[in-house]
Amino acid sequence: MSRTQKFFTYLALSIWSFIAIFPIWTLIVNSFKPQKEIFQNPFGLPQTFTLDGYKSVWLKGNFGTYFLNTIYVTVISLALIVFIGSLAAYALAKWKSKASAALYVFFIAGLMIPIRLGTIDLVRIMQFLKLHDTIWSLIPVYVAMGMPISIFILTAFVQTLPKEMFDAAKVDGASEWRIYLQIVVPLLRPAIATVAIFNMMKIWNDFWFPLVFIRAEESRTISLGVSLLFGQYRTDWTRALSTLSLAAVPILILYILLSREFIKGLTAGAVKG
Amino acid sequence: MKKTLFALLMVLAFVLAACGGAPAPAEEAPAAEEAPAAEEAPAEEEAPAVEEAPAAEPVELVLGSWRADDVDAWDVILAKFNEEHPEISVKFDPTSPVDYDTTLRTQLETGSAPDLFFVRSFATGLDLFEQGFVASMKDLPGIHDNFNAGALAPWSTADGEPFAVPIAAVSHGIYYNQDLFEANGIAVPQTWEELLAAAQTLKDAGVIPFSNGTKDAWDINEVVMMTIIPNNIGGMDGRMAYLNGERCFNDADMVAAYTQIQDLAPFLPADFTATDYYTSEQLFVQGQAAMYFDGSWSITPVEKDAPDFNWSVFAAPPAEGKDQYISFHMDAAIGMNAATENAEAAQTFLEWLATEEFGEAFGNGVPGFFPVSNNVPTLTDPVANEFLSFNSKAAGTDIRFVWEKLMAQPDGFASPYTVMNDGVIAVLKGEQTPQEAADSLQEAIATWYEPAQNCGN
Amino acid sequence: MIKNLKKYFSENGIWLLFVMPALLIYLVFMAAPLLDSMRLSFYTGKGYTPTEFVGFKNYVDLFTNPLWRERFLGALKNTIIFFSIHMIIQNSLGLFFANLLSAEFKGRNFFRTVIFAPATLSVLITGFLWTLILNPYWGAINQSLKAIGLDSWAKPWLGDEHLALPVISLTSVWQWVGMPTVLFLAGLLGISDEILEAARVDGASNWHIFWKIKFPLLKPVIGVVAILTFVDNFNAFDVIFAMAGAKGEPGYSTDLLATFFYRTGIAGEHPAGIPNMGMGAAIATLIFIILMVGVLLWLYSSRKNEELA
Repeated sequence: MSRTQKFFTYLALSIWSFIAIFPIWTLIVNSFKPQKEIFQNPFGLPQTFTLDGYKSVWLKGNFGTYFLNTIYVTVISLALIVFIGSLAAYALAKWKSKASAALYVFFIAGLMIPIRLGTIDLVRIMQFLKLHDTIWSLIPVYVAMGMPISIFILTAFVQTLPKEMFDAAKVDGASEWRIYLQIVVPLLRPAIATVAIFNMMKIWNDFWFPLVFIRAEESRTISLGVSLLFGQYRTDWTRALSTLSLAAVPILILYILLSREFIKGLTAGAVKG
Repeated sequence: MKKTLFALLMVLAFVLAACGGAPAPAEEAPAAEEAPAAEEAPAEEEAPAVEEAPAAEPVELVLGSWRADDVDAWDVILAKFNEEHPEISVKFDPTSPVDYDTTLRTQLETGSAPDLFFVRSFATGLDLFEQGFVASMKDLPGIHDNFNAGALAPWSTADGEPFAVPIAAVSHGIYYNQDLFEANGIAVPQTWEELLAAAQTLKDAGVIPFSNGTKDAWDINEVVMMTIIPNNIGGMDGRMAYLNGERCFNDADMVAAYTQIQDLAPFLPADFTATDYYTSEQLFVQGQAAMYFDGSWSITPVEKDAPDFNWSVFAAPPAEGKDQYISFHMDAAIGMNAATENAEAAQTFLEWLATEEFGEAFGNGVPGFFPVSNNVPTLTDPVANEFLSFNSKAAGTDIRFVWEKLMAQPDGFASPYTVMNDGVIAVLKGEQTPQEAADSLQEAIATWYEPAQNCGN
Repeated sequence: MIKNLKKYFSENGIWLLFVMPALLIYLVFMAAPLLDSMRLSFYTGKGYTPTEFVGFKNYVDLFTNPLWRERFLGALKNTIIFFSIHMIIQNSLGLFFANLLSAEFKGRNFFRTVIFAPATLSVLITGFLWTLILNPYWGAINQSLKAIGLDSWAKPWLGDEHLALPVISLTSVWQWVGMPTVLFLAGLLGISDEILEAARVDGASNWHIFWKIKFPLLKPVIGVVAILTFVDNFNAFDVIFAMAGAKGEPGYSTDLLATFFYRTGIAGEHPAGIPNMGMGAAIATLIFIILMVGVLLWLYSSRKNEELA
């Protein structure tokens, strides 16, 4: 890279990084200030440092439970989405028939409708299955919600894989199952990373289904717990910001820890442009 | 191959089960849930009540609410109840106000609602009752003795059957910074003209006179417009004249109310369109604004923010020569889930709501919410008492202006509430004259409300 | 007949088996509830399970009753603006950042991480934060503008009918720009170095390399990004609900199709809050039809392009 290029690259990226980080900075730094200081000095470091917000929020909400619940739900849902979705995507990409085209469109159609429309039926299904008020009620819904986008992205990627590869494996007598496991899955890694991250954001932050499926304190997820606490502290900004920070920081740290893997996964392998 | 066929059949079976399964609980629900309440309840519960009353099974009730702010206060109130009735514990389980109505309705329609819950007044609550989700209160012992008809009305059917126990009324007025008033030599305004003069003095002194804004829309309607209407139309008698068609919604008095809104425009913050409800309160608390219109429910948040100046409230003053009326609105009631399995315990709790003990715990636990039973408690909060004192000094109090008609939304028509709200904002922005805004309200109501169609005759 | 079926299954059975788990869970927990609810668009009544059959009345009302039509067309127009801002600004920024980040330089992992970071926050948080930052009194934006003497640029961002929608769209761009960046980055890194090296040896400028070599090779990714943007933003709800409420304040100027649906079918209008699920289902069905037509057109045209290529 030339010097000017380098300068320009750093300049543009630094400006955007500032814009990206600034609100998060505002969130965290203000959660340590007493309410009055938040308005007098909204952007600087706290002059009077307080942990009051965190103390009372931590005592009020069972954040440990909320986190564990959210992690269970997110991890199990993601694992299922990735496995079931890639299996179906592989089939839909290789299976050339009217039925597969119809199925493909049928799956994609799920992207196009506000999911809240089906709320009442979903609550009834969960009651029928005796899953309501447990975190298990969320998983099937999230997996179902994840299908359209996963199948859409993964099918597109399978279609870009060179046909010869499958033919060669077929000639060697490999079953479709083995081709899927040993050829398709490794090659799909970047696409799977995309699907996983895309769904993870939605699942981790979803608030609607926990709100209508779950009342029990021990089954609450982080987004539900936070929104209820946030409602309680709407006028108490130190506590409100502490609540929001407690929701945001762990996933931020998790993301920063995993971001190398994530970007590696995304950019590794044969993503044919 | 057989496997594939089998799998296909499985899918079909599953789909059918799902499609069939979904509506089924809906149909069964009333039957299944009424039955135990009607048949089993007496058989099961009467017996132990008579024989082994002291060892009654402990019952836990859940109380749903939109008052997420008041968790701490309710924990204290409910602990008091539990002291008196050790066998019943009640858990306060609020949802944020914006999600409350949707969540409650979803729970009610799917049979997963709490045993007891806050019920909104008029159309909202009535709709839940008519759909059979809220139990009737007509047989609750003492309900008519403990509450007057006016308090029960917002939670009663047209023929007077109550379906919830009212717990709170709220008042409205103007919060003001006493230090700023003193510094600028302003006395509490007794007339609208004095109020405007005070606002001018404050504006000249570089203070925002009123911190109200329109970003959230509802507050300009509910805490400003609704507060000044009674002064302009003559309280409840005036309101009745609009309801029975004697007067039109665009008559001189209503235009006068919209004109007062217009009067306020120059005294709101310059960026009032971007000022939301919480920002209004903050501008006042920080001393940037000298006054703001708000409901009595804001006593607690303002007290919590502990402004470093003296503050109090005064009633929105009427125009010179008119009488003072106060917007004293019925705000909250508690109803019982018609499908609850703990009806008896729930009724015990509902009866307790009429006691002075509850009134005292509630009225002092959440100052600014005024208990409405006839067993009047003593309130200790000075600002709450100031709000209450408006009532005795005024010519009368009234609930919000034609609230039940404003809420009505016959199929395919604009709700008059929205039309009024839009009109108030348009007047503030200078996009409509008070007369035009009043005309639009009259038109919106007259599209379906017969008395308004031939009004003024 | 049975023979034909047998033959069909021996040829396609394995694929059916692969699709089955996805199909099953999708049918039961998404398709069936949604289809059952779309049926409600032919009914009217209060609450979530209206029972009075009215045929196409809800649809007719949406297009003929001036009140419904105004709201529906307004929301449609706002949704198109909201979507266009994402399509143009978010995706161009994403492509721009991806191109910068695909080069080798010190600290690029840091920048890659930072650009995506806002996407990890919930909309409850971003909505609250941006409302704070855009606040006319203590918000960072107006305070900075005033500090450098640009007082007249300090606007009531969220209170102005003309500004609110673009401003909220931009906060949403802020949050989601990492998505196209990462997808484009993956595409760019997949382009073989030899092609780029060869072009450089031939003396092609960076500008030329980007437009003539990288861009055409990115076309499939652009397609995926475009359709994700389309589908995501035509159903956008959370950011408006968090920053402008269910009514799309000020004065419906930020009302999107999804908030219109929510307000009508799920929440009901303030203050009564009595939902009209029949009409809500009709709105949702119309959103579905609009999106379906858009996506099918895209699928059709991309398949045609493939055949041409």
